[in-house]
Amino acid sequence: MTDLEELKHDLETCFGTSCGFCERGCPVYQTLRIKTISMRGRNRTMLGLLEGKFDITPSVVKAAFECTLCGNCDRWCSLKNTEHTRALREYLLKHGVEPLKEHASLLASIKNYGNPWFQPRSARNKWKKGLDIPKAAPGKQDVLFFAGCTSAVMKPLMASLAASAKLLKRAGTEFAVMGQDEPCCGSTLHRVGQAEAFEKLERDNFDKFKTLGIKKIVTACPGCYTTLKKSAEKLGEDIEVVHIAQEISDLVGKGDLKVRRSTEKMTYHDPCHLGRLGGVFEEPREIMGAVADYVEMPNSGYEARCCGAGAGLQSAFPKLSRELAQKKIDEAKSTGATTLVTCCPFCETQLRSVPGMNVVDLMELLLKATDDVSG
Amino acid sequence: MAFIDELVSAIGEEKVLTDPAELYVYGADWSPRTPDEVRPPEVVVLPDTTRDIQRIVNIAYAHGVPVTAGGGLTGMLGGAVPLFGGIYIDTTTMRSIVEVDPKNQTLRVQAGATLQEVNDAVNPYGLWLPHQPESKWVSTVGAAIACDNDSTFGVRYGKILNCLLSAEIVTGTGEVLELGHRKAHFTSSGYKLKDLLAGSEGTLGVITEATLKLEPIPETRMVDMIVFHRMGSAVDFLSRILKAGLCIEAAHINCKHRLKFYTHAYKDKHGKDPDIPSWAEALLAIAFAGDKDIVKEQRDHAIDIAAEFEAELVKEREIVDSWWASKYTLEFEPFKQKWPDSQGTKKFGAADPGVPVGRLEEFYHKFIEVAGKHDLEIIGMNAYLEHPNSIGFSLSCAVFVDYRSADEVKRFRMFHDELSKLALEFDGTMSTFMSDSDQKAPYLELEHGPSLRYMMEIKKLFDPKGIMNPGKKFPREAEGK
Repeated sequence: MTDLEELKHDLETCFGTSCGFCERGCPVYQTLRIKTISMRGRNRTMLGLLEGKFDITPSVVKAAFECTLCGNCDRWCSLKNTEHTRALREYLLKHGVEPLKEHASLLASIKNYGNPWFQPRSARNKWKKGLDIPKAAPGKQDVLFFAGCTSAVMKPLMASLAASAKLLKRAGTEFAVMGQDEPCCGSTLHRVGQAEAFEKLERDNFDKFKTLGIKKIVTACPGCYTTLKKSAEKLGEDIEVVHIAQEISDLVGKGDLKVRRSTEKMTYHDPCHLGRLGGVFEEPREIMGAVADYVEMPNSGYEARCCGAGAGLQSAFPKLSRELAQKKIDEAKSTGATTLVTCCPFCETQLRSVPGMNVVDLMELLLKATDDVSG
Repeated sequence: MAFIDELVSAIGEEKVLTDPAELYVYGADWSPRTPDEVRPPEVVVLPDTTRDIQRIVNIAYAHGVPVTAGGGLTGMLGGAVPLFGGIYIDTTTMRSIVEVDPKNQTLRVQAGATLQEVNDAVNPYGLWLPHQPESKWVSTVGAAIACDNDSTFGVRYGKILNCLLSAEIVTGTGEVLELGHRKAHFTSSGYKLKDLLAGSEGTLGVITEATLKLEPIPETRMVDMIVFHRMGSAVDFLSRILKAGLCIEAAHINCKHRLKFYTHAYKDKHGKDPDIPSWAEALLAIAFAGDKDIVKEQRDHAIDIAAEFEAELVKEREIVDSWWASKYTLEFEPFKQKWPDSQGTKKFGAADPGVPVGRLEEFYHKFIEVAGKHDLEIIGMNAYLEHPNSIGFSLSCAVFVDYRSADEVKRFRMFHDELSKLALEFDGTMSTFMSDSDQKAPYLELEHGPSLRYMMEIKKLFDPKGIMNPGKKFPREAEGK
């Protein structure tokens, strides 16, 4: 947990600099145009709080939580702005602010069901029906395919997990899954400011992975990817964490997976957790290049704009979240593409909520391209 | 407060911010100040239309409440920081592109659009707005006009006033006025009231829309750096190449200290400052743009002429590219090198005087002396050519300022004042790209003499109650408030 006081020097640096360059790529600021919501404003708000210029007010709470933690503000700045926002959330909860009711509900679900979506633990088994995937057992496997809560329990997303598993099999990777014993990675807890609950969960999770003898985790969820990867680094655990796109792109590149290239024009949306926050830009593009007539959006890679789903924005600020999704769809349409491809369950759900664009999961697209060859 | 209730009724609750935490955010800009010097307004309003602004000013007028309009809040002298509370109008919520007219190469835009947003909008037409300060991602059209900031390409295209054909304002009485000459490039009719807006700092009214002249995007640009024995030699060289008939797109003379501030990317890569000859006192960054053949010919000719001045071309492209990226494209890795890293303990602060073209060298030495006198660490001097096809330059005399230290901020302000006044002794001007703000207000008469009274009369005509950004340019007492 970072105490706000520890950030004071950096907050003053932002005050002193005041360049505002963080505003250009901030999807929330660009929609609302209220400086309090920009990173420059949020840093200044934190400084004002620390200096006792005002108390915690509803606007401070709004400034803290009306953000997707997408990381774009870090792009142009040496300060760790995204961490500042997270620290502000923790600070507020520590200083008597009640969790937003939508977030409290997610937290209750994680506590009771092991996922944020009020689904029984057994729901995690559904996606793998008929796929003959072994359940992880101590010492029986090196590689764990970590499904992630959202795709595992939400019906429209289950096909993407099945596609990932099938591709892993075609690639000859031996792996297991945890099924209903798979825990939540804690991403949501971490991002809405529940530091203590998150720290306990990540410790428990890695104890479980170690008991199973896991050496490598492949996940299809970018949120799980960055969370587990950073937890492993923080805890000093020697477990490699990769996203499915990284695992599979190699095989496409080497020609081990035969694919048929579609002539349809498609564009790719970088999920924040995979791209900007996770540093994975090239691998999904290698796959895209192999399977489609692929075009970039005006803001792509590091500059990709957030879909608006992340860090509790979708649940607590649905109208704003939807506006961000609409902007993303508009940007995708401007490329002339008819299909928007991504590889994050949150982004997929979010972008499908706005009509006008066919939104496809990268692994489902790749599986289909390989099926077209084989069958 | 009654006027706040009226604002809510007039434009809607969602466009009125009154939470102290929100107000605090609007109480400072880019200028050196300690965190204790935040000057929050009493209320922030977020208008969508000129009509909204008219309603706001009408209420302010009725109640005699100060109105400060702001854009990106990247001003270097506090121009848009409210001094007496009141209403802060955040114009950045007004950013619609009203019309792009490619045939006539004009654009009509709401004043809160950033300069980058303007260029994003007109780029598909092969056009651009060449008024390009380093703050272009954040600086707005209205603020660029009101604060009369600088531009990388001034020597070819001038500053914002050279691009401004017409502007709509809401005066201090709430009247909506269009000042200018529609889409014609210039006029000989009437008084040129539009020109009063450049550097007006919101003291006459709130700029709400502007019609801007656009230029075709040149096919090629070549940027070079040439080092000189003296600052004055660089000026003489520029005069010589203009005489030769060359069309310069950008020309910036850096003193040897200043180069380092702009080449962090180089330093980051090589672990050292760029190697330039020890004899070099001035580094001229110069750009030509246009059709490829023409650009090459002009560039080669300029380099030939440089030999007459015992100047030397910088061969290491990385030095040039790093400088240009820092100044113009802003796209270098890691970008952060320039801002918070270099300003973690101290920030950039500058005076912006102007001196006659033949006295640059002399003034440069004075700048070094005055910075030393006030015990300020020197960043360096940069002379930006900002007048079309002439060697007229603005001066950025920059020092590092420890913004956590009230004493150092005070010394910086004394340094700023001293250089401003010194420029008058040099037959120059106190300001070339920051305007006056409250900093120069106490001694503005030194610059303008009896004509200052005429300025105040003009101000009264636009703003009889003295509610528009009070304290800027004229001390508030002088405005009768």
